[in-house]
Formats: sequence, structure tokens, C-alpha cells
Amino acid sequence: MKKRKTVTIFAILVLVLTVIASLSLVASEVSYCCEKTNDGAWCQNAPQESCDSGFRTNPTSCQATSYCRLGTCVDSQEGTCMENTPQQVCEASNGVWEEGSANEIPRCQLGCCLIGDQAAFVTQTRCKRLSSLYALEIDFRTDMQNEMQCIASASSGVMGACVYEKEFETTCTLTSQKECNEVSSENMETEFHEGFLCSDETLGTDCAPTEETTCVEGEDVVRFVDSCGNLANVYDATKVNNKVYWSKIIDESESCGYGDSNADDAKCGNCDYLLGSTCKAYKRDEDRVRPNYGDNICRDLACEYEGQDYKHGETWCADSEGINKNLPGSRYFRLMCYNGEVQIEPCSDYRQEICIQDEVNGFKAGACRVNMWQDCYSQDNIQDCTNSDRRDCKWQPGLITGPPSEETVTVQSDLNPREGQSSFPAPTESTETAGAFQAPMTGAFLGGVLSGTGVGDTVAGVENELEKYGSCTPKYAPGFDFWQEGNADQICSIATQECIVTYEEKLIGGKKKCKEDGGNCWCLDPGIMATFIAGCNTLGDCGLKTNYLGQMGRGQSEVTVEEGEDN
Amino acid sequence: MRGKKGQVTIFVITALVIVILAIIFYLMYPQIKSTLGLESKNPNQFIQDCMEEQIREARDKVSAQGGSIDPEHYFLYKDEKLKYLCYTEEYYQMCIVQEPLLKGRIEDEIKKEISEGVRACFDDLESTFKGKGYDVNLREGPFEVELLPRRIVAKFNTSLTLTKDSSEEYDSFSVVVNDNLYELVSIATSIISSETRFGDSESTVYMNYYHDLKVEKLKQSDGTTVYILTNRDTKNKFQFASRSLAWPPGFE
Repeated sequence: MKKRKTVTIFAILVLVLTVIASLSLVASEVSYCCEKTNDGAWCQNAPQESCDSGFRTNPTSCQATSYCRLGTCVDSQEGTCMENTPQQVCEASNGVWEEGSANEIPRCQLGCCLIGDQAAFVTQTRCKRLSSLYALEIDFRTDMQNEMQCIASASSGVMGACVYEKEFETTCTLTSQKECNEVSSENMETEFHEGFLCSDETLGTDCAPTEETTCVEGEDVVRFVDSCGNLANVYDATKVNNKVYWSKIIDESESCGYGDSNADDAKCGNCDYLLGSTCKAYKRDEDRVRPNYGDNICRDLACEYEGQDYKHGETWCADSEGINKNLPGSRYFRLMCYNGEVQIEPCSDYRQEICIQDEVNGFKAGACRVNMWQDCYSQDNIQDCTNSDRRDCKWQPGLITGPPSEETVTVQSDLNPREGQSSFPAPTESTETAGAFQAPMTGAFLGGVLSGTGVGDTVAGVENELEKYGSCTPKYAPGFDFWQEGNADQICSIATQECIVTYEEKLIGGKKKCKEDGGNCWCLDPGIMATFIAGCNTLGDCGLKTNYLGQMGRGQSEVTVEEGEDN
Repeated sequence: MRGKKGQVTIFVITALVIVILAIIFYLMYPQIKSTLGLESKNPNQFIQDCMEEQIREARDKVSAQGGSIDPEHYFLYKDEKLKYLCYTEEYYQMCIVQEPLLKGRIEDEIKKEISEGVRACFDDLESTFKGKGYDVNLREGPFEVELLPRRIVAKFNTSLTLTKDSSEEYDSFSVVVNDNLYELVSIATSIISSETRFGDSESTVYMNYYHDLKVEKLKQSDGTTVYILTNRDTKNKFQFASRSLAWPPGFE
């Protein structure tokens, strides 16, 4: 018995490997490096007939050719480096091609570019380019080796009130100390007051507090503006007449409602994009309340989808049609809420990607990730099969998949095929659930495993015996392009089973009867047949299924009965 | 009483006429301005007005097709030809960059698209000023288009001398169009870099960082990914296609 099991597993492995090997052999046979394909794509490994005859072609991988070698394309003007670029494509675009990846090329090394009050993790050339584009001084630092550290080091510099005389009046501009000193000249003397707002009374300028607010590009908060048009502190309705609040620069972290989104708050403009709000001009049809002062408010960026509220920035998996059962045509989707709008992002088709979701502190995060189903069939034990780090498979006790048995017995039968088909139940909802197989594990059958064991004489005996076996199948049944010339048939054939039932003819006429001793009569049991079908269905888009729109598939039934010859 | 009613009617009619005239004036202002000779005499402004719309149209066309006016290798999405900026024909492989210097390519494409319009604009400029009695000496030179932060700049090395009572000389012209194509192209470049290195990109990263940006990532059945980048404020778009780390149905 043990020997038979080993033989069976070996047969499964051989079949799967043969399928994969034959397919990769076919793929390798057609590998030419086309400098350009007929479609216009550069440097592709493709069949020879796809190559543009006006360009170079070689029966080898592109990486082995001189014209399509991949490297890094450097834009010496912009200071950017693009990896995985063929030499010829780079040079045709006026780029400088260098062998190797970006981190092997000195001029592609990244550093922290501090530019104004911003920071970017870029190359030195890019940093200089940014300096010329924004007309700002830069500080390129190579001691910071990661982007987070770089961005965190950005600072807005010392800000304050720059007071000066203009047309016989003392006026003021809120600016940095450096800029204030720059505008200072013989004709116009400036005085910088660090940390002060222009509306501070002690400065004696013509800038006074107002009830006006504004949104600032690059910022999320609503700010007060003074009568000279200078920015002031974060909008706080309770402090509109507070002289202290209009006197010194107060950080957002010390302003009203810090740590909250303050969405649709009529009194506080301390919006936070990552918490779900941003400064927008008030609109009656979009905002729930009107701000007490000014025309700007923290717009709520949350979303409502199918009667449920989602926070701005949340992502989650869609409950798309047929996906719970991985039905043919069904697909995983990720949904995301951004700026009050729900976006739909499809994962790869044919369920080659699945959507996963988690929730941390009430914040939903979903993602599409690869469905690792490909090597499920070649796993022969539970441990390897259910190793979720390596594959998305499930172990199905009692289910044996494998090549059709070679131990064929010719049977005599008067069984009407139509009758036979009608007795095979269509997969029920529970048996179709490929993602989570819920059918009672009555066992499946692999031709030779049970024949001649004696246990196959009764359904119960077969069930008991099959409980000892199991198969590794995809946890999320993949989709196949079975309507095209693909390899769906080959994959699905793994679950193809053949059961030969022997019938006895009575001496004095009458209906033929299944031979009780070794006749495989249990094969005709509807429960066992349902399990065969479920085993087939769980492999992917195999067998006769209802698609994601609820339409039944066409074609042959999943169980066919053929009459053999009389012995 | 009757006289009062008549007076009210006259007032109402007069008000209506004024409103209608104001609307007509508002709607027809450019033509009226032109007819009355109120147009600016500044040749720089003339070229700005003449070229701005053409640059915008070229920009829209290029942005809708992945940076190319007539893409050769593209994915057809909603009747639009989206150029593959990164592509591999194979399954399980990272894409090969097809357009490594995207910004430069787009500048060239816009330049190509507006080149005929440039000639027409300078011809118009010449005839307009001749019509105004100027002696016009125009020497057309090359021009460049550059994508810059928040703007597209076209610089024309064309010189112009206008002589009437006195002489005015213009060494070059430049047209500035406020636009954020530079920003969208920078993000597209970053996405291509991610596609070729990891076979995919994460749209939320970009949207978390750039608050006015919308990134739509739409995976197609053949393994192609369509990217649509939109500025939420201006509604300007840049869309392109990529095919990287594609998974076949079944095995391949």
C-alpha cells in the first residue's frame, strides 16, 4: 500500500515537471534577441518572426548581445539615472550609458539635497539642477544614507518679521532672515525680528490682524492673513482678536486641534492631510459647516462606499463578484479612499494576484500580492504544502490528484451514459468554494491506488481508506485562458480520474449489475463523484463551473461515462 | 400713475439693454479689441498669445499618449494609444526601459508638434506690424521647448526689428505656459524606475507624498499596467503603459 502511494506521488511529480519542462522548452526554443520588434519595442527576447528585419537579430538572450546589453542610462543634464536600459536606446536618447546598476556608478550615488525649506534624496547633479530650477541655494550632504533621514532634516530656517520703510510708512514682510538681509540696501534698511509676526503691535507696522484666511501651496493648514497679505498663524476662531496670537509665530503642534484632522471644523484650521483633511475654499455642497471667519476650511477627505465610511488613505479589498469562490472571470480588486474619492485598483487578472487586507489601530490597509499557486501540485506533504511563506496552497485530506490510472480493466456495462450523467450531482456551493474547501472530505480516487485492495468494495470502505491520502492544491484557484490555445487542459488534466466499473450479466437475462467484488461500484456513488468534481474545480478554472456572472459553463459534463467492450 | 408705470418700464428696458450690451462686450471682447486696434503692440505678447494655445494642445496630445505624438509601440486604452515606457514581451521578467530620458523626449515631441505653428505665428506677427505701418525685419532662428517646474517654456532665437518713427529691437522671444507637466513627468519617471526594478509600483506612496496628485494604476489582462496621473486641482493628466513582471494565465 505504501509502495503504491510512493508510486502515485512520483507519477504526480513527473507529470507536473513534464508540463513545466515542456512549456519552458517551447519558450526557450523561440528565444531571439530582437533589437526592435515588429510592434516597435526595443530589445526584446521574442520569437524570430516577431523581430523587425530592419534591425539586428540574434538567437541568444539580449543580455548576451552587444546592442541590447542592459545598464544604467544617465541623464547628465537632469542628473537622473535609469536602470535596465539597453545601451542603444540610451544613446539614441542622448543619454550616457554605463554598465552596471545605479548603485555601482559613482555619479548615480544618492545624497541629501537640502534646498530651501525642502529636502530631496537625489544625485549631486540633480541637486545642482534643482538649485538652478528653483533659484535656491543648496546643501548636498553625503553623510545621510537614507531618504527618511534626509526628509526629516529639512527645515524652513528662521522665519520672522522683516520690517522696513516704504513710501514713508513702516511696513513688514514675513520672511526668512536670509531673505530679509538680502533685500536690505542703502536705500532701504530692513530690520529682522525672529519669530515675530508682522501684525505684532510692538513692531509698529501698518500690518494689522484681520478675519481673513488663506490656503498656502504646499501646506495643509488654513492660515490667517494680516492686512498686508502676510501669512499669520493657523486659523483659530477663538483667537481672532487675541493680540498674543497675532504677535508671535506659533508652531502647528501648539495650535488648535493638533493631532486631529479638524475636518469640517468651523473654528479650527489645523488640517492634517495624513489624518484626513486639507485646506480648501469653503463650498456649501461639499463642506458640512461654514467657517466662522474667512472662506477656507479643513475639507474632510474621508469617503463613503456602499454605506460604509472609510478614512482618507485607507485601502481595502473589494468584495467583487465571484471572488469568494474564485469563480472563472472573477478578479481581486483593491479599493482606496483618497481626497474623498474611492479609487478602484484591479489586481492582476486570472487571479494571478490576490488582495490581502489588514487593520492596524482601526486603519485599513489592503494590497495586491502575487498568488503563489504554481508549485502546489508538486508538494507531497502538509508541511511543505502549507508553508505560507513560499506558496499559497492548502492540503486537502482525502483528495488525490494525479494522472489517470494505467491499470485499466475492460468492463461490460449496460449503463446508459445519460443516466450516469444525471446521477452525478453538479458541484454544490460548498464544494465549489476553492478558496476554502468546505465539502465533506469523502475522499477522491486515483485509479490504481485502491483497485484490488478489497477496501474499494463499499463506499464507506473507500472513504475510510482515502482519508489516509491528501493532495496539495491552490488556496486561491487561479484562472486560465481555457478558451484559447493555452495550457489549461494540461493543468486541469492533473485532476482527471478514470474509474472502471465492472458489471455482471445475470445468467437468465435481466439488468446488468455492478460486480460487488472488485467492481469499483463505489465509483458510481454521487458523493464520491462530487468529491472528484470538487478536486478538479479546486485546481483552477477546471471542470464545468458557473462563472462570476452566474452563468453556467458550456461544454462536456465533468463526468463522462463510456461503455466498454464485453469480455 | 400711468406716467410712473411708464417710467418704471423704461428703467427696466434700459437696465436690460445695458446688461445685454455688457454680456455681448464680454463675450466678443477679443474681436472688439482686435477691430478697434486695442491689441498690445508688444511683439512678445503677440507671440505669447499666438503660441500659448498651440503649446497647450501639443501638451494635451503628448500627455494622453505617454509622451509621444505618434507612438509606435503602444497599448490601446479607451481609444487612446498609450506608449509603453517600459516593456517586456516575456512573462516573469522585469521590463526594459523604452524611454530613459522621458523629459527630453517630451520636449522634442512638443517642439515637433508646434513647429509649423511657430512659423505661422511669426508670419502673422510680421504682417500685423507691417499692417500697422512698421518696417519689419524678422530673422527666424531655432527654438527650444523646456519643461520646468510648474511651467513649459518655449524660447525662440528669432530677432525682430520694428522701425517706424524710432526703432525697436527684439533679440529673442519666449513663451511661458503655466503647467505642471514637469511634475507629472517626474512622477512617471519614478514609476518607470520602480517598474523596471521591482516589476510594480505602489500608487499610495505617490498620493501620500503629493497631495494634489491622483495615481490610477489599472492592470490589464495581458499583463500591461495603465498609469493615469492626474493633478486634482488643474485636472491635467499624463498617461502611459508599462508591462513588467507579467503573470501568465496558468503556466508559461
